[in-house]
Amino acid sequence: MSEKHNITNIKKRIDRIEDILAAVAAGDLDARINSETEDDLSGIEAAIDLLIDDLTDELKQREKMQKEVEDKLSKIQEQQKTIVQQQEDLLELSSPVSKVWDNVLILPVIGTLDSQRTQIMMENLLEKIVETGCTISILDITGVPTVDTQVANHLLKTVTSARLLGAECIISGISPAIAQTIVHLGIDLSSIKTKATLQDAMIFAMRQNKRTDDIKLQSLYINPNEKEE
Amino acid sequence: MTSDKNWEELGRKNLESENDIVMARQLVRHYAKQLRMGIVDQTRVTTAVSELLRNMYNYAGGGEIKIFSGLVDEKDALIITCSDSGPGIEDLELAMSDGYTSGMGMGYGLPGAKRLVDRFEIQSKVNVGTTVRIIKWR
Ligand SMILES: Nc1ncnc2c1ncn2[C@@H]1O[C@H](COP(=O)(O)OP(=O)(O)OP(=O)(O)O)[C@@H](O)[C@H]1O
Ligand SMILES: [Mg+2]
Repeated sequence: MSEKHNITNIKKRIDRIEDILAAVAAGDLDARINSETEDDLSGIEAAIDLLIDDLTDELKQREKMQKEVEDKLSKIQEQQKTIVQQQEDLLELSSPVSKVWDNVLILPVIGTLDSQRTQIMMENLLEKIVETGCTISILDITGVPTVDTQVANHLLKTVTSARLLGAECIISGISPAIAQTIVHLGIDLSSIKTKATLQDAMIFAMRQNKRTDDIKLQSLYINPNEKEE
Repeated sequence: MTSDKNWEELGRKNLESENDIVMARQLVRHYAKQLRMGIVDQTRVTTAVSELLRNMYNYAGGGEIKIFSGLVDEKDALIITCSDSGPGIEDLELAMSDGYTSGMGMGYGLPGAKRLVDRFEIQSKVNVGTTVRIIKWR
């Protein structure tokens, strides 16, 4: 073999190495040099093929891991959605408004009143007032440990909104300690009807009911034809 | 501001979410009870703390509360510090007056908290932050 022929041959093989490397770099992980000759250069060619093998393995491994991570992530997101849903359900549950007597709604408030809960509580109550046409609602806060200015503010707003819908609110269950605290805070709750216990509030509500009934009866008596019209 | 190296730190909590307010409040009530304060005093100090924490959360985006027990003027006391790195309060006298609010509140938080405790110290610097220390005798 002439020297010149040899050099041309080697140049060709180097070109091929370059092509293969370019192909791999472009993403073709199946490209290999697969040299058939046995000489000094073939050692390098084999080494490059091995390197590409390693690289391919690693990339495949990484893809697999990435897919696993993505799967796990979507699972976690799914679980998170469930948790949020459950939390919302719980919020709804924790402000149950019920009609306990003709014309009387009761909303027992338990636990801490943060702004989100108060919002839901208020909406529930107002909806129920419209739905049932009740004109008396009792907010029992026996289960609320701390009444600060924000809670008081929320209560005032709820009472005012209910009033706009034609319902009177009674707040019951203010403990002596909380009563003193409210006074020291300086908040004026005198525009709200309050009763010490839920029982007191119920008795008040029923009396109020009876009075309305009496007035209805009276007007019926004064103008017996009213019903006919 | 009143301070003493010999106070025993009972607890501390970082305030980041509204839920942290609830937890910090429970912490305060727990220690007030542990120090054998009566139900009225427990409620008063917890409510005062609630006001300070809500302010930190609303106006400074968060802060930190530290609870100590120790001697102040030779009397046993529960000492609570609430500090934030928020915008600070420009006019302290105005902020401390009944009915003043820069937002949608009632404006009774700060003056009300002051009336609920035995000692109330406030320091504030615009763009640096606000620190309030309240003291309740045991
Ligand atoms: N930590 C604070 N950082 C910055 N500004 C504050 C801070 N605390 C209070 N302020 C300012 O002082 C004002 C008065 O506070 P205060 O707690 O008395 O009333 P409020 O928070 O507006 O209403 P309320 O507490 O009655 O719901 C606030 O409106 C606010 O502008
Ligand atoms: Mg406030």
